[in-house]
Amino acid sequence: MAFTPRGGGRGGDRGGRGGFSRGGDRGGRGGFSRGGGGDRGGRGGFSRGGGRGDSRGGRGGRGAPRGGGRGGAGAKGGAKTIVEPHRHAGIFVARGKEDMLVTKNLSPGVSVYGEKRISVENSSGADDSVTKTEYRVWNPFRSKLAAGVLGGLDEIFIKPGAKVLYLGAASGTSVSHVADIVGPTGTVFAVEFSHRSGRDLINMATHRTNVIPIIEDARHPLKYRMLVSMVDVIFADVAQPDQARIVGLNAHLFLKVGGGVVVSIKANCIDSTAAPEAVFAREVTKLREERIKPLEQLTLEPFERDHAMVVGRYVRSTT
Amino acid sequence: MGLFVLSETSAGFALFKADKKVLKKTEGAEVETAEGINGLLKLKHFEKFDSAATALEEVASLVEGKVSPMLAKLLDSLKDEKKASLAVADPKLGQAINKLPGLTLTPVSDSTTNDLYRAIRDHLPSLIPGLLPENIATMSLGLSHSLSRHKLKFSPDKVDTMIVQAIALLDDLDKELNTYAMRVKEWYGWHFPEMGKIVNDNLAYARIIMKVGMRTNCQNTDLADILPEEIESAVKSAAEVSMGTEITEQDLENIQLLAEQVVGFTEYRQQLSSYLTARMQAIAPNLTELVGELVGARLIAHSGSLMSLAKSPASTIQILGAEKALFRALKTKHDTPKYGLIYHASLVGQATGKNKGKISRMLAAKAAIGLRVDALSDWSAQGEGKGDDVDEEERSALGVKSRSKIERHLRLLEGKPLLPKGVAVGPNGKPATPGKWEIKEARKYNANADGLAGDETAADDPKLIEEVEEDESDSDEEMPDVDAGLGLAPPSLNGTKAKPVAQKETNGTADSVSSVSDDSDDDEEPAKQWQSSILGNTKEAKKARKVERHERNVALAEEKSKKRAERKAKETKKAEKEEKRQAKASQDGKKSGSSAPSAAPVDADIAHAATLSMSVEKYKRKLQDGQISIVDGTPVKTSKKDLKKQKKQEAKAAEVQAAASTDSSKKRKHEDEADKTEKKKKKKNKE
Repeated sequence: MAFTPRGGGRGGDRGGRGGFSRGGDRGGRGGFSRGGGGDRGGRGGFSRGGGRGDSRGGRGGRGAPRGGGRGGAGAKGGAKTIVEPHRHAGIFVARGKEDMLVTKNLSPGVSVYGEKRISVENSSGADDSVTKTEYRVWNPFRSKLAAGVLGGLDEIFIKPGAKVLYLGAASGTSVSHVADIVGPTGTVFAVEFSHRSGRDLINMATHRTNVIPIIEDARHPLKYRMLVSMVDVIFADVAQPDQARIVGLNAHLFLKVGGGVVVSIKANCIDSTAAPEAVFAREVTKLREERIKPLEQLTLEPFERDHAMVVGRYVRSTT
Repeated sequence: MGLFVLSETSAGFALFKADKKVLKKTEGAEVETAEGINGLLKLKHFEKFDSAATALEEVASLVEGKVSPMLAKLLDSLKDEKKASLAVADPKLGQAINKLPGLTLTPVSDSTTNDLYRAIRDHLPSLIPGLLPENIATMSLGLSHSLSRHKLKFSPDKVDTMIVQAIALLDDLDKELNTYAMRVKEWYGWHFPEMGKIVNDNLAYARIIMKVGMRTNCQNTDLADILPEEIESAVKSAAEVSMGTEITEQDLENIQLLAEQVVGFTEYRQQLSSYLTARMQAIAPNLTELVGELVGARLIAHSGSLMSLAKSPASTIQILGAEKALFRALKTKHDTPKYGLIYHASLVGQATGKNKGKISRMLAAKAAIGLRVDALSDWSAQGEGKGDDVDEEERSALGVKSRSKIERHLRLLEGKPLLPKGVAVGPNGKPATPGKWEIKEARKYNANADGLAGDETAADDPKLIEEVEEDESDSDEEMPDVDAGLGLAPPSLNGTKAKPVAQKETNGTADSVSSVSDDSDDDEEPAKQWQSSILGNTKEAKKARKVERHERNVALAEEKSKKRAERKAKETKKAEKEEKRQAKASQDGKKSGSSAPSAAPVDADIAHAATLSMSVEKYKRKLQDGQISIVDGTPVKTSKKDLKKQKKQEAKAAEVQAAASTDSSKKRKHEDEADKTEKKKKKKNKE
């Protein structure tokens, strides 16, 4: 199975192979339509599963007031919503009409990809001067990591201060949330091969100094060896048949012993003929061979079809 | 005997000195801690990058596996070391270092160094004094940004992206253009509905609107540069009696603005198309030659770049664009698709039925080879400047060759005649130069001319008669009559009707005479005499048939009659005693010839073919005498009957033969016809 361009709906502007193609095939954000708030119009029911193709709908958008647009939503939403920390450090839950997954915006006032922002007036401290904290809504339909978190992953290794090697960064939408989580003390090394989406990634990275954009093929980690230090966790969302190998290569070079590996697997991209479960099982064995001890496997069912999230720990020594 | 370790950081090159044993120790706990690694490695030199610009330069060359001048200088300091090895992270860089002149270092880069580098990366700040972790972070941030920007700026497939965008735009334009043109027709159609039917071309339609405006202006506007004369006059006459509604100037203004857009877009589309053609010719000449620039551009667009398309196997190229069908087929275990985008290539279009899949496969294979030449040869777009001296023809030589090969194969598969080598074939599959085809058309024309004389079988008989004519070269003048006869009655009836006529003749009063005359014809009598008799008969329409029968009999019974003549000659020899009587009979015959003009040929026959006629006369006389008739008469009679029978048989045989011959000729004709129809079909296919 070495058929290169996978997935029918991918944007034509991207390299078929190599580009760790994402971005075009999920959400609605293909090409130029960045859809403002308005495109979510008639939805709003509780149809989570059906929201796959919807660009901004789904869980993320529902709680916030509709009319306000970007700027207004923050203040207005802040009055009603309470933001609580999530079980995973650095991730928060905004409780309003609907619960939303949010991350603390590292560069307040800027949305990366048109997502909603919620501004909260110092809800936790509440003793001295009023400080505003801005949160960005993290849409699980667009980010597999968010879907994994909502799905209830026990451990994602990505926490404040962590160093993350993010393979398959695409346009940097998820990367921006990961950058929010790790905070200013952490670092995200975002690797993306496609030049087209790499352009967006670089633009995003200019606003977040903890993101180091790398436009390289993740198959050749030696090409960015001088940029990447040892990392705590590798997150891989490269929809490629040799995904496990790619993760292994990078882990051997850059991942600390005992570091975490979070891999999102799209069954169709590995083998479109086999059953998804079989594909997942096969990938897990491959990861084992790369000395990654699997801890957890989770399907991203309501958010993505035939996707699985595998969390593992890098155990370097063979003993 | 030492080991040096080269480590590249975002801040600069670091060169460590270590014991060679260190490579074996890396598994242990020693490298886990900062102290441990510090005990193993000693910093020999740290070459810091002066500025962000140098950093970018150095790292860019490192990424490509090249030794930069700075690194070369650093390594130069190790010149004096003998038998030392140098640990390098990247094997490719190791090879490049190995090639450096004046260095005796042996680069090491394998799994053993991997652990070492992990340790160095982990404890970099402690290994290099004066390098703070923050510094490393800022340096790598700045470097990564500049490196990525550099990468985007000098993207190798920048030429391809132009093609990708151009073909995408071309498709968009077509779509938009159609929408706009339909809108123009719809809108202006309210004012002048008749024009939509008359002028089909969108561009012409829009141009007319721009030029004419209100339909009332139609009459006094010259549309000669937009439309051909007859359509122009049709438009003008339709404008006179149009049933469209009136519109205001303001409405017209808006319609004209839209029409302007249509005209502008159409012109732009043409320009874009020629741009794409030129671009494709420049970056992928072989691919363009094989599949055409549109399909080629779509293929490139689909795979992202020329290079990635060149890397894909032929099987992938074959079904590129049919992913949905492919994956559905793979999932349901059905047959995978035979073609994707390549279906629109002219070569595949020329093939029919199952051959489409075959040609698609072959074309994909050749396209894959051509693509590799396009993408990887020295004169390709990537090797700028190098290929200036290579002209276009040479670049696309492979494509031209493969195309003609596939062309040949296609013709073989389709059962078409092969073209001679070197014949250029146009995109419609027809040879550009007149080949064998013209000759065939000429033959076809002849066949049609034949068909004009009658139907199929009618065309058979002239052949038969022609053969006869060849045998009997003296009856040239007869042909038109025969033809006329043929024209009158269908030849299938000819045979059946000829029989009763012959019987009639034989049954008639002059039966013996006619039979004699028939026989005498066989004996090479002067053509004039019997011909004259026929001429007399041809006055009636039916006689023509008789003539024909006569002719046929003459022709086909010739040999047998000769035999008979011989036999009769023998008989005459036997009857030598009756020679005197013969002479007398000849005189009598002459008399009878003068007395009966109808029997004139008989007399002549008698005169010429002495034996038979004599015997007849003698028989007559004997019959009159009634004496010898029993003795000699029976054989004579029987002989006569035999003759008659023979004649009949001969006639039958002649018919059968004729039928056979017609059959055979029919067959031939059918074959010919089949050939022709086949050719026609092929021609149609070609077209």
